[in-house]
Amino acid sequence: MKTEDLIASLTQDLRPVRRVLPPVLATTLWVATATVLVCMAVFYFGPREDIVQHFASSVDLPQLLAAVAIGVLAAFAALQRALPDRDWRWGLLPLPAIAVWLVILAWGCVRDVVASGPEALHLTTSFKCIAFISGLGLPLTLGMLWLSRHAAPLRPGPVAALGGLAAAALASAGLSCIHYLNAAAMILVWHGLAVVLVTLGASLLGPRIMRTRMMTQ
Amino acid sequence: MPDAFALPHPVYRPAMSDAGPVAHCQTPNARDARWSWMMVAAQAGDARAYNALLRECVPLLRAICRRRLRVEADVEDAVQDALLTIHRVRHTYDPARPLGPWLIAIADRRALDRGRSLGRAARGQVELDAASELASTAPDTDGAIDSRRASAMLVRAVDDLPLAQRTALSLTKIHDLSLAEASSRSGMTVGALKVATHRALGSLRRRFGVKD
Repeated sequence: MKTEDLIASLTQDLRPVRRVLPPVLATTLWVATATVLVCMAVFYFGPREDIVQHFASSVDLPQLLAAVAIGVLAAFAALQRALPDRDWRWGLLPLPAIAVWLVILAWGCVRDVVASGPEALHLTTSFKCIAFISGLGLPLTLGMLWLSRHAAPLRPGPVAALGGLAAAALASAGLSCIHYLNAAAMILVWHGLAVVLVTLGASLLGPRIMRTRMMTQ
Repeated sequence: MPDAFALPHPVYRPAMSDAGPVAHCQTPNARDARWSWMMVAAQAGDARAYNALLRECVPLLRAICRRRLRVEADVEDAVQDALLTIHRVRHTYDPARPLGPWLIAIADRRALDRGRSLGRAARGQVELDAASELASTAPDTDGAIDSRRASAMLVRAVDDLPLAQRTALSLTKIHDLSLAEASSRSGMTVGALKVATHRALGSLRRRFGVKD
């Protein structure tokens, strides 16, 4: 087919299109929906009984705020990267919040070791973290993939990964409100592992999901 | 379908012809404004503006694709892929931004994809060409081998430059276009071309240890 013929066929019967939501608006929409979903999950499972004292005395509140920051920044970065002309460096936006989250939990580990000795670094299994973050991260990731589905023809992988990171980070923040996990090392390992798994899963499966008929319609 | 974010736009009326002299005599800024306006009209369903826009931007798309693809048929395939992608994601264009970088990003991505898909076959072809060239000529002198190695290193160094610098260097120094022509082809301003060319040359000098 000649290029001129292709242009003629593309312009024939041209229909108006609805412009995509600006990234700020789309991020606000997604974060609001995600907040409602996370709050519903927290109330469904029941917040921990000592939540006020716990947040007042441990690193959980700062790490929760850092996780929320990761979620919001990763969502904004995903929706920026979903647009063709946006710089790849938008993808680096969540890195400072990730660094802060890691530093807070590392500091928590040091504090735990000083208070309880090396025993504070003893790790046990906590598959509930992975189940909760993955279970809640899935619908949140799907929502983000739908909002950024226009990235499918250009760079679906990075956009889906950022979307998965955003979803998992907010789910992790929700988990901090319900789970009796006090050791910073346990939070670091199990929340971190769950977030990595959801992000990897989103980056591998997200592009395929974005290209499905359900998303493109 | 009503567009919640659309700006009101008049019906598109070409000044002389849809892709005629008017389109080619404009400064990059005027062209960007005109293209942006045409895309807004296209988003609202104006087929005439859309047709004119696509025809006007094809030379830019070709120039972008030629940077990654050598065979003209592959370039044309990549241009057509880019046109299809532009059509598919035309709702992602934000009128507050220039259209040039949006088009360039799409064309570059499609050319890269096509280059990758052709990569294995192309690499095989290059190896075959190189082998037949070696077989058909007399043994190389040391000077010829050095010269060939130097040009391969230069090609690799140019390939490693950032996209904007590579474009500027290719158009102004390799294709020897005037700044105005290079600006028209690349969608970059004359100032940006000068800066990018200067930085590209500086980067190459540093890489090969050449002093200014």
